[in-house]
Amino acid sequence: MAILGTALNAVGLLFLTHAVYSTHEHTATFAHTPLPLDITIELLTSILILSAGIVITSPELRPIKWAQWAGKMQRQGRKGEGKWTREGEEILSEGDSFAFLGLDSGIGGGGEGRRGFWDVRAKRKEYAEWVKAGGK
Amino acid sequence: MVAANLLSPPPQISPQTALQLSQKAPLILSQSPTPSLPWPLSLLFSRETPETWTIHENLLLSALRTGDDTSARQILDRMTSRFGASNERIIALRGIYEEALAKDDKELTRVLDGYGKVLEVDPTNTLVRKRGIAVQKSLGRTQDAITSLKVLLENSPTDVEAWAELSDMYAANGAWGQAIYCLEEVLLVMPNAWTAHAQVATLHYLSAPSSLHSLSMALRHFARSVELNESYLRGYYGLKLVAQKLIPLLSESTAVAKKNAEEDDIPPPKLQSVKKLEELATGKLAEIVRQYGSGKKGWAAFDEAEVIATKELLDRDGRVER
Repeated sequence: MAILGTALNAVGLLFLTHAVYSTHEHTATFAHTPLPLDITIELLTSILILSAGIVITSPELRPIKWAQWAGKMQRQGRKGEGKWTREGEEILSEGDSFAFLGLDSGIGGGGEGRRGFWDVRAKRKEYAEWVKAGGK
Repeated sequence: MVAANLLSPPPQISPQTALQLSQKAPLILSQSPTPSLPWPLSLLFSRETPETWTIHENLLLSALRTGDDTSARQILDRMTSRFGASNERIIALRGIYEEALAKDDKELTRVLDGYGKVLEVDPTNTLVRKRGIAVQKSLGRTQDAITSLKVLLENSPTDVEAWAELSDMYAANGAWGQAIYCLEEVLLVMPNAWTAHAQVATLHYLSAPSSLHSLSMALRHFARSVELNESYLRGYYGLKLVAQKLIPLLSESTAVAKKNAEEDDIPPPKLQSVKKLEELATGKLAEIVRQYGSGKKGWAAFDEAEVIATKELLDRDGRVER
C-alpha cells in the first residue's frame, strides 16, 4: 500500500509540475488566447492522482470513541512503528496514559507507576534475590 | 511485544527485563550526546534529541536496580554536566543514587536529612519532597510518610500521583475509607482514568465484601471502568465477581434494600440490571480468554496470569463457552 501511495504521489507531482509549466509557457507565448483543453485536463487529473496518493499514504486512523481507543490499546499493547532513536531504542506507539498512576498492580504492588516515589532499595533487593536464586 | 525498551519501559519490569535494560549501558555510554565544541558551534553539531535524556534517566534507574553503580555514576555525571547540579530533577536523581548506595538505615537517614536541607532552601521542590516520602516509606516509617504526603497535598492538591500514593499507603494499612477518598480526588482530576475507577471499585469491594452498599458502589465503578475501556480485563473480572455476590443479596433482601435506600444517598441497582451486567461480563471475559488462547496477534497484550485467573473464574462458574 505504501509503495502504491508513493508511486501515485510521484506521478501526480510530475503531472502537476508539467501542467503548471505548460500553462506558464502558453501564457508567455500567446498572451490573449484561452488555455487549451489538454492542459486543464492534465491539471485536474494530476490533482486527483495526488489527492488519492496523499489519502493512501496517510497513517492508519485511530478510533474516535474513547472506549474503543482504550480497548484497542489494551488488546494490542505497544508496538514499534519502524522508527528508532539515535541510541537504538525503538519508538513505540502510544500506551496507557494513566499508567503513571500505578493503580493496576494492586495495593503495594511492584509496578513501575508513580515514578516520583520509586523505591530503589526494594527494587535492588528484588533483583539481588533473583540473582541469588539462579537468575531465571 | 518489545520487552526491553529504554524509551518507554513496560509497566512491570521483572528482574530479567531490568538486566536486559541495564546491559545497554556500555553502548549508550560509548557515545556522547553533548558535543565537545565551544558554544556557537555546539548548537549546530548537537547530537541530542528529545528522547536522549529520557533514555539516560531510564538507564540510570535500571543500572541502579541491577547494582551497576559505576555506570549509574557515569550517567549521573553526564546528566549533571548537561543540566547543572542545582536542577530539581538532577537533585532528585542524585538522591536516588545515594539511596541506592546507602548500606544501612543509618546512612539512609542521612540521605533523608540531606533532603530536609534541600527543602529548607527551596520548599517548592516537589520531586525532592517525594523522594523524602519514598525514603520514609522504605525505612518503615509509614505514619511519617503519610504526614509528609498530607503536607505535600495541602500545597498542591492537584498532584494525582501523590493522591494515588497516599491512597495506596492507606489501603496497605487497611484504612479503606481514607484510601477511597484519596482515589476519588484522583478521579476529580482525571475522570477518564479507567484504572482509577477499577481501583476505587476494588477498594469498595475489599472494605466490606458482603455489604450491599459497598458492593453496589464497586459494581458502579467497575461498570464505569469497562465503559471507558472496552477490553479492560480487570474491569470485567471485577464486574462479574461483584455481580455474583450482589445477585443473592438483592434477591433475598428486597424489603431491606428499600429501607436502606432512604439512608444511603444512592439506591442499590436493580436485580435485573445486575444480572444483565453479569452476563455481559461473562461474555466479554470468555471472548478475551478464547482470543488470547488462540494466540491472535491483536490480542496478545493481556497479562498471562490475569487470563489464567479469568479462566478459573469462568470454570468455577461452569458456563465457559469454548
